[in-house]
Amino acid sequence: METPAIKTQGLTRCFGALTAVQDVTLTVASGQFFGFLGPNGAGKSTTIKMLTGLLEPTSGTIEILGKPFGANALELKRQIGVVPEGMALLGRLTAPEYLRFVGRMYGLERETVNRRTEELLEFMQLANERRKLITDFSHGMQKKLALAAAVIHGPRVLFLDEPFEGVDAIAAGMLKTMLQGMINRGATIFLTTHVLEIVERLCSHVAIIHQGRLVANGSIEDLRAGVASTLPGTESEQRLTLEEIFLSIVGAGGQESPQELSWLA
Amino acid sequence: MAGLAQVDEAPSISPGALGSMARRQYAALLAMRWRMVVNSVRSVQGAFELGARGVAFIIYSIMGLGLGFGLGASAYYSMISSGHAQLLSFLFWAVFLVWQVLPIALASFQEQFDISGLLRFPVSFRSFFLLNVVFGLVDVPALLGGICCLGILTGVTLARPDWFGRAVLVLAVYAIFNIVLARMVLAWIDRWLAKRRTREIVSAIFLVMMLSLQLLNPALHSGVHYQHPNHAAAKRNQQEYWKEMKPWAATAQRIEPWTPPGMAGDALTQPQIAITPLGMLGLYILTASGLLALRLRREYRGEKLSDSPAARNRNPNDTKWLIDGSGPVAAVIEKELRMIPRSMPLLFAMGAPLVTVLIISTVIRNAALGLRPFELAFPLCVCYALLGFTQMIFNNLGAEGTGIQMLFLSPTPIRTVLLAKNLMHGALYLIVASLAGAFAASRLGQPDLLLLAMTAAWVLFALPAHLAAGNILSLTMPYRVNLGRISRQRGSQASALISMLVQVVVMGCGIVVFELCIHFHQRWLAVPSLLVLAGLAVMAWMRVLANADRLANRNRDNLIATLAKTE
Repeated sequence: METPAIKTQGLTRCFGALTAVQDVTLTVASGQFFGFLGPNGAGKSTTIKMLTGLLEPTSGTIEILGKPFGANALELKRQIGVVPEGMALLGRLTAPEYLRFVGRMYGLERETVNRRTEELLEFMQLANERRKLITDFSHGMQKKLALAAAVIHGPRVLFLDEPFEGVDAIAAGMLKTMLQGMINRGATIFLTTHVLEIVERLCSHVAIIHQGRLVANGSIEDLRAGVASTLPGTESEQRLTLEEIFLSIVGAGGQESPQELSWLA
Repeated sequence: MAGLAQVDEAPSISPGALGSMARRQYAALLAMRWRMVVNSVRSVQGAFELGARGVAFIIYSIMGLGLGFGLGASAYYSMISSGHAQLLSFLFWAVFLVWQVLPIALASFQEQFDISGLLRFPVSFRSFFLLNVVFGLVDVPALLGGICCLGILTGVTLARPDWFGRAVLVLAVYAIFNIVLARMVLAWIDRWLAKRRTREIVSAIFLVMMLSLQLLNPALHSGVHYQHPNHAAAKRNQQEYWKEMKPWAATAQRIEPWTPPGMAGDALTQPQIAITPLGMLGLYILTASGLLALRLRREYRGEKLSDSPAARNRNPNDTKWLIDGSGPVAAVIEKELRMIPRSMPLLFAMGAPLVTVLIISTVIRNAALGLRPFELAFPLCVCYALLGFTQMIFNNLGAEGTGIQMLFLSPTPIRTVLLAKNLMHGALYLIVASLAGAFAASRLGQPDLLLLAMTAAWVLFALPAHLAAGNILSLTMPYRVNLGRISRQRGSQASALISMLVQVVVMGCGIVVFELCIHFHQRWLAVPSLLVLAGLAVMAWMRVLANADRLANRNRDNLIATLAKTE
């Protein structure tokens, strides 16, 4: 059996009395495009931070590419790429300077760094902005740069936290092509986003986290079948969208509708 | 793009802090820092900031050279005078204070690179540790401490050229100890201030320390009285004082050789036993390194201080307002009132001058020994309390962060926001100044009514002058502030320099008025003179407020870019 790219067992993170992530156990197979979904504050970013070594779990274990994270953090960090929640860019550098910095931090040869920097700038359509400081970039441009920095060392596992937020449709299309290309070459992608259409189109497997707990995990088809069987009156030929599956699982349908804000115009 | 998803043949990973991978990372960091400096000159503010850093460097170097010269001369004197070699320990104490006290005092004004941002890269723990220590070498206390050590080295070598090798070794070990200790202290303080429970413990210790200092002086001078205005009585008092101090001095003498400065002094002056104190110093370095490593290890493994919820559990239905009224001034004051108690660095900044006032007033009183302390001691103690408000007043939008956009979007004029902040900070200053006055009075004696009036008039002048200058600087030279941390702040040297200049000018005006009036035996004249200055300062403050929106709009892009956009 092939070694899973990501494997967690009983992953838990507490902040004082608050348990942000509780007992999350999941396995992401190598080469999978994995969607990690959940409402705001469900624990998605906390989970990604733990999986990438930026946050220490309170309990539980993490294995990336078959190796426990704690003991092999250094080696594993070279094989993963991350677009973190806040993008973690250095505003007072230009895009080429930043990419070169990141490439060298991953120990790449100078020529490789320079070549990939140019390729990534071209690909991300940032080549014409090479003299502009990152702080002056638009949000979408910063997202593209953060993604370029996350892949410059050719990671085997890529963690993306809301990568398409603020990115224009043309760039989003190119990014999807690039990510699909990475999957074809054997990389694994762990994606969180609120844009469920993207997940539906790209991801083969999905996990849903709600209030810190994993409430669903499997292929989209499995989840669809599972939800359809619980919904009365759903015809077998009626194909549920991921949005319907998501809303059904996180229980939005069961919640009382919020009071109407009658003072709004 | 074909290379993606293929991990390159990078150098093999070795945990060493000097391996090939680590060396590449250091080179990348160096290049990145250099590019940041070069890029900062693109904007006028950046160029000004760089210039200010140059000026600050020169000022600090001159201060350091002065200190270094003094310490060098003292070291030379202690070496050539027989029986005074043990004085070297005192010089090491001076270096120790410079290196350990200044980092906390200057933390808010210096730009410090937050190395925790490097943890997403494959940086080994040893490299992370080394980088943390190395970044401690490029700050002002290290510059001053280094010059002080060089001063001592020069003094010792001039007196005893044959001691050069030993002096280099001892001073190098002592410098390493100070660097590691300073980094360790800052790392732990940040940790303690991030969590509510430890923050409360630190606050309690701070309070106990203040009370202890308050009680220390009466304890040391239980039988000494200061009502003798003549020299004979003063001399008698002095003898009594030293008699009472003798047991304390004896205890200090027993403990001092075991402290790091004492060890360094012994290692230098007693060649026959030098190995033992040097070994002990090494042990101190190991202990400090161990404690620093313990803290950094947690950070390296993914501890996020800012992610620790600090607030108490409150009743969600508790919507009680601190200040009545729904106007924007009340709203801003309420926001400030809720934010300031949650920021330990701000509370420390306000409280620390009170401790210093206690110490300074005690020193002034002891130095006077029975004679009347000098006239300006009381007002100087009161105005010293203003130092704690430097960051709050001169960068009053710094803590807004992305909230600055909301201030621009809301229909409330910036003028109103600044007015509310000024009222809040002014009220806080009056409370702290009253406490400083009470502390100073308890040590220096009750000031007469005229001195009290002079001090009040000076405060009435200093406060609006500071607020006016503070509002201008806040709008034109803002810098982002993390209210949860003492170290690793962004800081602005330009803002720090200008605010220092304003403080010196305001304080200087007060001193000149005081001195002139005392010189011409017309002390009463100081009050109306300072009130005139106060009137002018109030007019300046109101004028700045009136133009605040124009100034804010002119600097809107810079304000938003600095406070809200990517760091």
